[in-house]
Formats: sequence, structure tokens, C-alpha cells
Amino acid sequence: MFNQKRLEFTFIAFFILLAFVLTDIFQLQTREFESTSQIIDQQNLDKFYIPAPRGEIFDANGEKIAETKLEPHLYINMRKITNQNASDYRQIIQYNFPELTTKEINEIFESKDILHFVANLSSVEYEVRNNLLKNYDVFIIIDIPIRKYIKNELFSHTVGYLGIPNQDEFNKFQNALGNNLVGKNGLERYYEEYLSGIPGELIFLGSKIVDSKQPIPGEDLFLSIDSLTQTVTKESLQQGLDLANKSFESQNEIKKGASVVLDIETGNIVSMVSLPDFDPNKFVSGISDFEYKQLDRDQAFNNFAIQGLYPPGSVFKVVAYWLALSENIFPEGLSNKDSKFDCEGSLSFGFDDGSQQVYNDWKFEGHGKVDLTDAIKQSCNVYFWDIALNIWRNFGNTDGESILQEYSKELGFSEKTNVDLPFEKVGIIPDRDLFEEWKISRPGLVREEGWLGGDLMNLIIGQGAITTTPLQVANAYRTLLTGENQSPTLNINAEKITNNKINVSDEFISFLLKDLNTVTNKGGTAYVSFSILGNKANDIGGKTGTAQNAGDKNNTSWFVGVDSISNPKYIIVTVVDEGGSGSAVAAPVSRRIIQHLLEYALTPVEFGEITE
Amino acid sequence: MINRKITILGPEGTNLYILLQFMIFSVISWFTLFSSIESIEFETSNILTRQIVFSLVGLIVFFLTTYLSIENLYNLINALFLLSISVLIGLLFTTPILGVRRWYDLEPVGLPIFIQPSEFSKIVLVLFIAKILSQKSNKLIAISGVLINLFLIFIQPDFGTTMLLLIVTSLMFFVSDIKLRIAVSGLLVFFLSFFILLEFNLLGDYQISRITDFFSGEDFSQRQSRLSISSGGLFGIYFSESQISEVFVPVQTTDFIFSLFSRNFGFFGGLLLTSLWIVFFFRVNRIIKRTEIVFEKYLLSGLLILLGAQIFINLFTILGFIPLTGIPFPLLSLGGSSIFSTAIIFGLINRVFIENNIVV
Repeated sequence: MFNQKRLEFTFIAFFILLAFVLTDIFQLQTREFESTSQIIDQQNLDKFYIPAPRGEIFDANGEKIAETKLEPHLYINMRKITNQNASDYRQIIQYNFPELTTKEINEIFESKDILHFVANLSSVEYEVRNNLLKNYDVFIIIDIPIRKYIKNELFSHTVGYLGIPNQDEFNKFQNALGNNLVGKNGLERYYEEYLSGIPGELIFLGSKIVDSKQPIPGEDLFLSIDSLTQTVTKESLQQGLDLANKSFESQNEIKKGASVVLDIETGNIVSMVSLPDFDPNKFVSGISDFEYKQLDRDQAFNNFAIQGLYPPGSVFKVVAYWLALSENIFPEGLSNKDSKFDCEGSLSFGFDDGSQQVYNDWKFEGHGKVDLTDAIKQSCNVYFWDIALNIWRNFGNTDGESILQEYSKELGFSEKTNVDLPFEKVGIIPDRDLFEEWKISRPGLVREEGWLGGDLMNLIIGQGAITTTPLQVANAYRTLLTGENQSPTLNINAEKITNNKINVSDEFISFLLKDLNTVTNKGGTAYVSFSILGNKANDIGGKTGTAQNAGDKNNTSWFVGVDSISNPKYIIVTVVDEGGSGSAVAAPVSRRIIQHLLEYALTPVEFGEITE
Repeated sequence: MINRKITILGPEGTNLYILLQFMIFSVISWFTLFSSIESIEFETSNILTRQIVFSLVGLIVFFLTTYLSIENLYNLINALFLLSISVLIGLLFTTPILGVRRWYDLEPVGLPIFIQPSEFSKIVLVLFIAKILSQKSNKLIAISGVLINLFLIFIQPDFGTTMLLLIVTSLMFFVSDIKLRIAVSGLLVFFLSFFILLEFNLLGDYQISRITDFFSGEDFSQRQSRLSISSGGLFGIYFSESQISEVFVPVQTTDFIFSLFSRNFGFFGGLLLTSLWIVFFFRVNRIIKRTEIVFEKYLLSGLLILLGAQIFINLFTILGFIPLTGIPFPLLSLGGSSIFSTAIIFGLINRVFIENNIVV
């Protein structure tokens, strides 16, 4: 039966226990209060960080690109090393790890660390490990994550690499201190906080470990890049570079270029290659100074797809194409896109100031009768110059004179694409204000008169002060085909940023695709490069570009391709720095990439036709 | 049946005192945790945010428990007990976390929390024993059920909870007028088997190191927690300007939260907190005397013993009187499972109050 007395007896027992506890606490908080603060102040707790395993990186097919392997590392507890026992331990280390030099061993024993690294035990026999741990309590084994880039050079610019953090990075990334490694470039940098994980801790009181926290691994990253497409892109671009070297007598070896494949529907990046590249694994094990300088001199660390700034040449003409159709601005005397205009190979015109100028097209004898389609197809400069003249005459020196620049910016030129990669460059779209600014900040670069009609004529064909990155160009073409200027991304889970929206009608898109289609077909500038495909080229489109450079630098070779006109899926942009004519070098490189995307048999990159 | 129309809160009414007590303890916990965080940001990783969410969900759990009438509860006990045993057996098939099989990880179903079933099975055990004791039938089968329950928790291994449940079981039998001779011999058997298991090395390394560390007299966290309590002085550092250096105490927000509380609110804070609990015990004891139903008497005593034993084991641990146990301080420690289980206890007590028509 229930016994109320016993229950109350229990409560009394509780009460006595409580009195006992409170007495102890009272003692602690009164009598021992003073001595406690002393003990606390003298207490030296030290932290030793255990790096967290970084998240791994996978390509579109789930293939691993960057992995993290935990490898057992032997550490020695320096707090337990005394003058008496140091020589013993020195011998033990020498005996077990004969590969260590005297200098390295000296470093261990001179170190002021709590724990000092001795050796990576991943290839050491289990017996040896066990022996060391069992017999000597100064040794401790910690699993340290090691980064490995499985595809070596293939993703050097997209994935990036790791390095020891500098002061800024310590401040910026809170896990950098414990991991002692930080993403220096590429996705490793952009997603540093996501990939890094939280380092673990060992808390030392003197030589004793009194508490520990396990490291928490970072999150994995899944990319839209496809390793196979990336491989083909790199091969093709390399073949293009070799071809350029063979074909032109350049003072310097031609070795710089970039190629990007962008998925039109999603805006995901399917491949992104920049050459020259490097092996990011070399940074893991430490790169030699000589090798670093060599790579640096070749600008191998630049991702030209987002950092290479090139005048776009004729691939920029689509901006004027879009402007012409939207604003109904055509060469003087023409009323629509189908009215023809006689290109005689040069354009002479006068300005308000009375000066007279003659501009010569790349084709000396002229293109004959051309409408807007022909102007794109044959890359007729005169047609576009005439549009520029028209803009200049109608809007010059008014608020509306920068209409071409405004259209450019809507497509993302001179703005960030907001790709999920660090250190993206934006390039320049010149206008009157910029020239005025340059007159002060960079005297000698621009004329005393400032912004003139000739500058606008240069701009409309992608020449002069304008610079763009290959990714900007790819994204601009995507914007024209979808109406949405959105951030292209590598991480499939990245949040897309809408940079801008434009009005493009379905009619416009089909005009544009049809006109791009003429470029790779008979009579178009890229016809020769694509002729190897025979009938299959009928559905492909593109635009060539050949941009002149200042000095004796060879032209920049451009090609923007669309894999299919009836069902456009990919935009392929290729740039070969000093690669000469776009139709000769960049076009066949893109052609080979398109062959892969359409699952046709691959044929080598062969010299096309020199146009422009 | 008594006519219950009193519905101040909840469908069947709520005893305002019990509700208030639950909320006061929760708020004390928030203030304590507030002192240990660096920034006030609403994110799931922030311990204060987590605790506030846990407390509010705990409040819902409290009200939900109040729905269940004691009569229905009584009929459900056997089923609950079987469920509890199955869930504990299920734990044997999980992957160990930190060397012990004690939690279900809810990450795969999208919740960033771990569930510790033993937190709930201890309530079910109290219900089960209360039912055994209030019946006149043969108790042997029922007692073997209790032993199985204890054994399943013991092999997780969870030394602390096993000790807790051993104490609760013993005390519940003690108040049932059992012959003292039997009670003492039962306890002896328990302790004997514990040391036999220890002898045959059936405990995990983790448990052993906790125990041996204690006997070698140098458990770091307990020494640190004593320093932390001591540094609070009479009034604590929460409202004072004096900057006494911080003391590092491992797991200070969960098992060792009383050391953080004492550091912040000093001796008088501790006195206030324990006084609140004493008042609570007095209040509930009055109902135990008043109710006519034997099951309710056993149930309330069992729940009070469970709460009291948890508090003492927790305090003894952080003061270093006994080895580390991992028993949280009810409603003060950070942790969802502990809060929810205490909310259920409060809800059950509330229900008994309501059925006895005591509302304020």
C-alpha cells in the first residue's frame, strides 16, 4: 500500500542532500572565491586545431574532381619533451623515420608548438605506428585531411587551389585559422565557407589533453561541368593554339586562350577552359619557387574566361543588330532589316567640324548589296559603321548618344556576370564620360577632343577601348536568346542572380538564330571551318570575330557558336589570344567542341579561312 | 466522473501554477545561455535560438500531454512500455555516435536534432512501476520488465541514466510499503551485477575512462566546473561590473549548465532556483496526500522522485562528488529531448491537478 510517511521521509532526505550541496557551493563561492580567481588567471589552456575535412567536388555525372583523404599524421607532444629526454626521442624518431634529415629533426626539437608534426604515417606499417603509440606517451596520431585534385590540370581554373591563409584571409574566413588552409582561387575560394568545415580542437592544460572537439566536415559541391566536355574543350583549344603557332609568324609563342560552353536554358556552365593551366596538386605538396615564377610569367593563374579582357571585334555586332531591330535604326536611307545597302569596301564621311574621314572594310572590294542578315553573315563593317553614323548624327552630343552603350550594358557588358568564381573582371564599354575621366587620369590615352563619332564607329564593331571577357560574351548571347541576363554558375545548387531582364520577341530570337546560321553556311565567314560537317552544319550557327590589338600584337580570334538553330542548347565561346582571324582559328576550335556536344565524330582542328 | 468545465487554458484546463513554474524555469535557462553566446542571430546553430524553440515546442508538448486523461493513460501504459522497450532495442542497430548508441539522428528526415529515447523511456518506466505498485497482482513478471529496461539502457552504454533509474525504481518501491529487507537485498544484487560487468570489461572504453578518471581524482571538467561555480561569488557576475576571467568548462551549456548558472547568478541565484524547486515539491506533495486514487499517488511520487534524482545526480556530478554521468539539469540544460521529457512530466502532473479540480 502507498506509504505517505516513507515518501515524506524521502523528501526530507532530499532536503538534507540539498542542504549539503548548498553548503558546498556556499564554501566555494565565499571562502574559496579569492583563491579561485588566482587559479583561473594562472590557468593556461592551449588550443591545438585539427583541420576539418574539406567538402568534395563532383562533376555533372557525379564523378569526383576534388577529394579529401584522411591520412594519419604522427605528432609529438612538445610539452612532454624535457632536456633530459629530448635526445632519447630524437633517436627514436631517427630510427623509425630514417628519411627525415637532421635539419628537419632539429626543427621539431626547436619548435615552440604544443604538438609538432613528425611524419605522415599513411605508408608506414601498422606495427610501427602501434609500437610508437604504445611505448611512448609523447606521440599522438591525428587524422589530417589531404586534398587531391583527381583531374590534375583539367579544372585548375574552375576548381582553383588551396594555400596557407594570409592576414586578410584569417580575418575574412573564421575557419581559416584552425584549418590552416584556405581556398586561394576558383571554386575553392568562392565556396570557402561552404567547403571548409569546422576545425576540431584539442584543449591542453600543460602537457595533458583535457578536452577535445571533433572536426565537422565541410559540405560537398556538385558542378554542372561535365568532365568529358571539359576534356574535349581543352583538347580543342590546345589544338587551336598549336594551329595558330604553326600558321602565323609571331614573335612570341601563342599560348593563351579560353573557351566556355554555356547551357542556354539553365545558364549553367558546362565547360570552362583557360590556357595555359597548371596542376593544382602542386600547391598541396608545396610548389617550387622556380615553377611558380614560370607559371606566373605565363599568366597560368589567370582564368581568361572571366579575367581575360579582349576587344570583342565582330562578335559584338549582335548588340547593334539588337539595337537596330529594336529602335529601327538602320544605315542612312534604309527603313528595315531587309532593305539593301551597297557596300563598296570603304566609308567616307564628314563630321560637323568639317573633317573628312575614310574607313576601310576588311574586304577591300566590298560586300556588294547587303541587308542586316548579310552584314552579320559576311561581317560587313561598313553596314554597322553606317548605323553608328546614323546614331551619331541623330543623337550626338545629346542624352541619347549613349544608346549603344546602354544596350551593351543591358546585355551585361562592363558589368559582372556574377558567376560563382572569385576575381571576375568586368571590362570596359567606353563613352563620353569615360573619355573625359581618362583625359585626367590617363592622359595620352585619348585625344584632346574627347569622345568623337569615330569612337562610336569603333565601338559598334567591337574595336577601340572596349574590352570584354569570354564569359560576358557567352552570357550576352544567352541573354539575347532568352531575354534574361542571369548569373552563369558552376554549382548546380547555386542561387541564380537575375542581373537584368530585356524584351526580346520570339520573332527577334528566330531572326537572330537564322542570321547566325548563315555565318556557318555557304557565303558566311565561318563556312570553311564548318564545311567538314557537310549537311550537319545546316543547323549550326555562330559569329566570328577578329579584334585588332594595339602595337604589333596579332589579332584576337573569336568565335561564338550555337549548337543548333532549331533547338539551341549551348553557346560556345572561344577566344585565342593573338590567334588571328576568328574564322580561321577560333571557329574550328568551337566546331570541334560542337561536334562533341552533338555527339558527332570528332575531327582535328584545322585552319579555316582568313576573313575580316 | 467529476465535471470539468474549468478551461482557462487548454481544452481540459491548466493549473496556472504548474504552467508558470515551467515558464520560469525556461526563462532562467534562456538568461543563462544568453550569457554564453557571442551574438544574437536567429539561426538554427545558435544555442539560445535552439533553446527558445525547444522551450516553446516544450510548451506545446505540455498542453498536448494535458489532453490525455489519467484513465486513458492508465490503459495505455502496457503498450507504451512495450513501445519504449522496442525503441531501446532499435538503438542497438544504429551507428554509434561518440562510441555510444544513445541517439537517433533525425538529420536524414530533415530535422537537425538528435533524439535520445532514454529521456522518454524513463517516464514510461515511472508510469509502468506506478501501475505495478497500484495493482494487487503478482509483480514478478512486471519486475523482470523493469530489469530488461534498465539493462537496455545500461548496454548503450549509459551509466548515468542506469544509476538514475535504479534510484528511481528503488525509491518507488520504498514508498510502496515493501519490506525493507527485500528493498536492501534488491539493491545489493543491482550493485553486485554492476561490478561484475565492470570486472568482465563489458563496459565501453568511454565509460571506463570516465570512471577511472574520477577515481584517479583528476577529472578536468569537474575541476573546471567547481572553479566556474566558485568564480560566481555570492551575487554572480551577470549583474556586476567586475570582470573575472572566463573559465573553460567542457559541455558547459548542457550537462554542466549549473556551473554557468552559478557563475552568472552566484550563491543567491542557486538558492532561488532550488527554492523554486522546493516549493514545487511541496505543492505536488499536497495533491499526493489529497487524491484518493492510489495510481495517482504513485505516479506523482514517481515523477517527483525522477525530477529530484535527476537534479541531485546532476549537481553531484558538476560538484565532482560522483563520476561524470551525462544527466542534464531539468529545464535548465540545453537540449530538446530533456526539455520535452520534462514538459511531459509537467503535463502529467498538471493533468492530475486538473482531475482533482485544482486550477490555481
